[in-house]
Amino acid sequence: MSRLEIDWTRCDGHGLCAELLPGQITRDEWGFPVLAPTVDDTYAARRAAALCPALALRLEVLGEDHLGARASLQYTSTR
Amino acid sequence: MTATTLAAVPAGTWTIGAPRLLAGLDRYATIDYGAHLALHGPLPHADRARLTALLEDVALTGRGGAGFPLAAKLRTMPHGQGTVIVNGSESEPASFKDRTLLRRAPHLVLDGAIAVAAALGARQVTVAVHDRPAALAVRRAVSERGDCAHVRVAQTHAGFVGGEARALWRGLAGGPALPLGRRVHLTQHGTLLSNAETLAHVAVALRLGPHRFRDSGTHAEPGTTLLTVGGAVARPGVVEIPLGTPLGIVLSAAGAAVPQAVVVGGYHGSWQARPDIQLCHANGLGAGVISVLDGSTCALGELARVASWLAAQSTRQCGPCRFGLPALARDVAGIVAGGDVATAIHHAQVVQGRGACHHPDGAVRFVMSGLHLLREETVRHRTAGGCGRPIRGQLVVPT
Repeated sequence: MSRLEIDWTRCDGHGLCAELLPGQITRDEWGFPVLAPTVDDTYAARRAAALCPALALRLEVLGEDHLGARASLQYTSTR
Repeated sequence: MTATTLAAVPAGTWTIGAPRLLAGLDRYATIDYGAHLALHGPLPHADRARLTALLEDVALTGRGGAGFPLAAKLRTMPHGQGTVIVNGSESEPASFKDRTLLRRAPHLVLDGAIAVAAALGARQVTVAVHDRPAALAVRRAVSERGDCAHVRVAQTHAGFVGGEARALWRGLAGGPALPLGRRVHLTQHGTLLSNAETLAHVAVALRLGPHRFRDSGTHAEPGTTLLTVGGAVARPGVVEIPLGTPLGIVLSAAGAAVPQAVVVGGYHGSWQARPDIQLCHANGLGAGVISVLDGSTCALGELARVASWLAAQSTRQCGPCRFGLPALARDVAGIVAGGDVATAIHHAQVVQGRGACHHPDGAVRFVMSGLHLLREETVRHRTAGGCGRPIRGQLVVPT
């Protein structure tokens, strides 16, 4: 199980993630992403995270460390 | 972010039950080091293990609003290094309790900070304050005692969200005083940050020990806590109560004649009508602000003013907060003018949980609990076009 995480301080509402993951991500009235609780296509989600122009999207593996302390367990976009 | 000034400053202090933090303030305007030692006695030493066990025993939680257990912070700090930051920025508009402590009883706060720093082996203590008289009082207190060579006082200038722990930490390090986008634990960076009142309770706990500390308060939340009581009351001020005291007791002691509504926990808190709720952190006491509205004011209008102020406090980092809170504030203004509540509910749901800090969540809690409690008022405004009452400003909004 995994889930998408947004760094809201980075997200500018480009909307590419909603284009790449139409079933998982919709957009609110200002264009910012609204996420489904969990991710079903991990490969597509990881690709969307990597392609986010603001580097604001991250795929986090659930059931390991919710606090994000062990970064090695997360699939992060390269920063 | 501009500096905020308070419209009204509660001057008095009073207590329900025996005072701990406010002890002596009925006799002294400010408690100097001599008076402090006479009142409380010398500060007992505690090593890291003993202090952590004590804080766990007395279940001391943060009094800045979040109510996080202090013992848990101590346990995750590195050994023999680091910094202790006293958060005295008190950015909650109607709150005055941290400033009262720092201005009038600064040695209790210093005691707590010094004891925590000594137990951790931390080399520096920073007291972050927004209020100039408080900064002066703490500097004077530091100069009175010989154990404060590692203590510095920093005057901060950030607004409501700038007082958030991570924002304050970044600001003190020379960065922007803005919340971080990623989840960062300050203790992993060797920083123990705690609210001023919380550290004063450490000083009290060290002297009383766990058993006497537990003489006051409830089993789950022992001890006392500070409130700032304001609005439509005969005796506004900073009040020390045993945790778990029913709201109604505080309201009658404060001389709140016939409350229309009460806001508990400040502007990230909630609107309450039940006088039997116990004031404790499990019930959303937050930073301890109790604001009373009587029947002479338009409560919906008061709600709209605060909603608009909350929207203006967004640091505009996160889209949903930056656009969503102003939309929510416009919705509430529309309800005052006789509009429907549906769009407000929609915008509240859109904003909730979508930000780097808890400002959007706190603002939504405040607005939605208000609309729920004032639902008959919303009907009255919709059917009669208003309630005919002026907005008296019983909920203080900084100018």
